[in-house]
Amino acid sequence: MSTRGPGASTGDAGTHEPGRGHPTLAPDRTALAWTRSALNIAGSGVLIARAAFTADLDALGVASAIALALVALLTWHHGQTIYRDRGLEGGLAHHEPVALRWLTAATLLIGVVAIVVTVAI
Amino acid sequence: MGDSSFDTEAGPSQEPDAAGTPEADLGDGSAGRGRALLRRLPWGAWHERRLEQTGSDLDPRFTFANERTFLAWNRTALALIAAGLAAAQFLKFNLHGLRLIIAVPLIVLGAVLALASYSHWEDSERAMRLRQPLRYSWMPRVLSGGIILIALLGAILAIIDRLAH
Repeated sequence: MSTRGPGASTGDAGTHEPGRGHPTLAPDRTALAWTRSALNIAGSGVLIARAAFTADLDALGVASAIALALVALLTWHHGQTIYRDRGLEGGLAHHEPVALRWLTAATLLIGVVAIVVTVAI
Repeated sequence: MGDSSFDTEAGPSQEPDAAGTPEADLGDGSAGRGRALLRRLPWGAWHERRLEQTGSDLDPRFTFANERTFLAWNRTALALIAAGLAAAQFLKFNLHGLRLIIAVPLIVLGAVLALASYSHWEDSERAMRLRQPLRYSWMPRVLSGGIILIALLGAILAIIDRLAH
């Protein structure tokens, strides 16, 4: 069980100066960005569910609320997971095209459901 | 030659996972399982390998910054969609359907930005790996222009609605 933060292994031994290419606090900021995205998705879920209930689309409201709660949870979990992974790998940053694509797809789906609900209100 | 991860960018032969084996660079324990699962999803592994085989590894800070920029654009897209939903629910026009003229463009603008943000992330990642200059994005102009247009539209519709009743 490692207690070191991300990139801890990349610093020069015996000094407090980060090594060249050390990510410094970038992993922390990125993990926080994923957390903010998760919160945004959760907020969108609340708005969509509320709009769906207003439009008497109760089933869509419940389904959207559950689905977006799950997406928000997965987004938050992904941010935490890659934060830990990048720490274990000594600060090596892997780009995440798969996760970014899924997040884009989820956002587009939210847009489609939002249009359906908006027209139905 | 230090032990910095940045030093691993010297050449393609030093890449730890040039063959693209999903589990090869995941570290250990449960932390890597989620990413391994993501990489096995359709088009995921192929796409990731293709980008990883482009150019050479980056300073990790650039990759992190690019990812945060994507996430910021994605949140902007979600905010526009939320604004559209709020407009649909809370705007009260006497003429039925006017609120749709405000709400739908906001949601569509959000969807367009969400798509474009991924494309911009990929372009930037590729350019940085190839040590090429980054391209300017058209997204800020579209976002500003879109918001100005929708705001003007809202003002005009509010006046028309008041005059009609």
